Amino acid sequence: MTEPVPLPAGVRDVLPVEAAELRALGDALAGAFRLFGYREVETPIIELADVLDRADEDGLGRAYRLFDDDGRVMVLRPDLTIPIARLVATRMGDHPDPVRVSYNAMAVRPPASGKIEGAEQRQAGIELVGAAGPDADAEVISALAAALAAAGVPEARIAVGSVAIVSAVLDGAGADGPSRDALWAALRGRSVVDWRSAVAALGADGEAGAVLAELPALRGGTEVIDRIAGAFPGAATECARLGAVLDLVAAGGAGAPMVDMGVVRDWSYYSGLVIEAYAAGASAPVAVGGRYDGLGARFGRPRAAVGVAVALDLLHHAVGRAAERGDAGIVLVGGSDEFIPAARALRAEGVTVVGVPAAYADADALALADGRRFVVRRGDGMWTARDVISGTDAVVDDLGAGPWT
Amino acid sequence: MDVRVCVPLGALFDESLAALEAVGLPVAPLRDAGRRLIVEVPGGPTYITTRPSDVPTYVESGAADLGIVGRDVLLERQPDVYELADLGFGGCRMSWCTRDGDDPTPVALERFGVVRVATKYVNCAERFFAATGRAAEIVKVNGSVELAPLVGLADGIVDLVATGRTLRENGLVEREPIFESTARLIANRVSHKMRADEMDRLVRAFGEATA
Repeated sequence: MTEPVPLPAGVRDVLPVEAAELRALGDALAGAFRLFGYREVETPIIELADVLDRADEDGLGRAYRLFDDDGRVMVLRPDLTIPIARLVATRMGDHPDPVRVSYNAMAVRPPASGKIEGAEQRQAGIELVGAAGPDADAEVISALAAALAAAGVPEARIAVGSVAIVSAVLDGAGADGPSRDALWAALRGRSVVDWRSAVAALGADGEAGAVLAELPALRGGTEVIDRIAGAFPGAATECARLGAVLDLVAAGGAGAPMVDMGVVRDWSYYSGLVIEAYAAGASAPVAVGGRYDGLGARFGRPRAAVGVAVALDLLHHAVGRAAERGDAGIVLVGGSDEFIPAARALRAEGVTVVGVPAAYADADALALADGRRFVVRRGDGMWTARDVISGTDAVVDDLGAGPWT
Repeated sequence: MDVRVCVPLGALFDESLAALEAVGLPVAPLRDAGRRLIVEVPGGPTYITTRPSDVPTYVESGAADLGIVGRDVLLERQPDVYELADLGFGGCRMSWCTRDGDDPTPVALERFGVVRVATKYVNCAERFFAATGRAAEIVKVNGSVELAPLVGLADGIVDLVATGRTLRENGLVEREPIFESTARLIANRVSHKMRADEMDRLVRAFGEATA
């Protein structure tokens, strides 16, 4: 046995089949986003740590850090929303509102021990910057639904919540200081049990008390929003806004998202709507996002913003194997020495041609390994094509009219 | 209904079955499972039985939709799952325990600046001593934790105390309680949303059964 060649913890190589499937998924998502007017941008893989510090995000403490020659701390981007917010605020500051950008890039975070999540996270997402209305929230939800459909997710579900509603409910319940912190911690920790014990300490009663105690477990349709608005008048404005968002999504024809007050994001930059999408076969949400109106100001250009990111690796688990292996193509024996013009002519017609020398010994094995269906040879003045799956040979009169064209 | 439920073997097993039965899930096949690790009830749930400390792993990864697990395991592992209900049984307490007699903790801190702790619950122990402003050297042991202070491996242990009998028999006493633990119902993040109606119905039933 040869000596193992280790990789850093949490990272992996991507081989041809997976790479092709990830590429196809990314293209499908990008295509759906493009139809809503989102244009792709890229940001550097390293940022100065100052960019993260401006975002003031505890959750991003976990990041790979390095130093440049001047001793400045840099980070491998652990998130895409913050770099994109920087890009839009600093480089597209003059762009008329709203700005629509998309991305398909890798975020990198040191792996946590005992977690399945890898260090590298491929994210394909959109950001809609400079649009504050419910229509902007609805557009992002609709674009996400369209993207998941385009990616071929057989069964997807989108849930929406609102940290603004939760915040207004906590105001109405008089939760402040440590009790408010405890409630947020319970919500972020997804513990209904801890939430209830923190609520019990507040001593609210009646319908308001009941709604408060059940808040993280409240879910369903618009009746959920109505109930919260009824119990907490201070939350009525935000509830009405979420109701308007849902109406606009419905008008767009996408299935109604589930309202779920237990949906919160771990990060504090979210200020209103929060979005999660789920798919059978993926162990965690395949997409997360929401409204983050305060982030632009930290880069000197205050603008309302909302966005969502799809976790490509998780999504990949939720979709079936690619139905066909694309351009199966042929292995042409002699295609790299004796029959170069024939190979060239076929490629010009869009046929994938793997050229091997005329003396190449095991073209069948190569074809099988690479997913090429046919091995084509020249002998006795004619072309013969072997179908490596069925093992049958057939004479081909015209290479340009084989079963591969 | 084809919900997959992860049930802990060991101390919580019998009461977990009683709790599942109380909400109307058929558990008889699980009682008669013998050494089988997976029990599929035709037309009913699929049960997965694991060590208690593995329950969050199965649920977090989506291999199980629901699980029953002690709060001690949740606080130690901090899995990304929904904690939906306190099932009330399996009560015990995580505590800092040392040998009977004078508490060695202040002396160790005063003379050596650090207290040596043996435990299976490394994260809980680290957080407890950090939160109380004391330096601790944590030694991970996998069984018979009570042995460690008796042979000088550590000043004391952070461990679960139910009746206190094991402690007494080994000449140890509880010095400082850290948190109380009971069995909890947990759910996978995706299952909790994809099967929302089913989950909500079950959680309500568990709530009524434990009320």
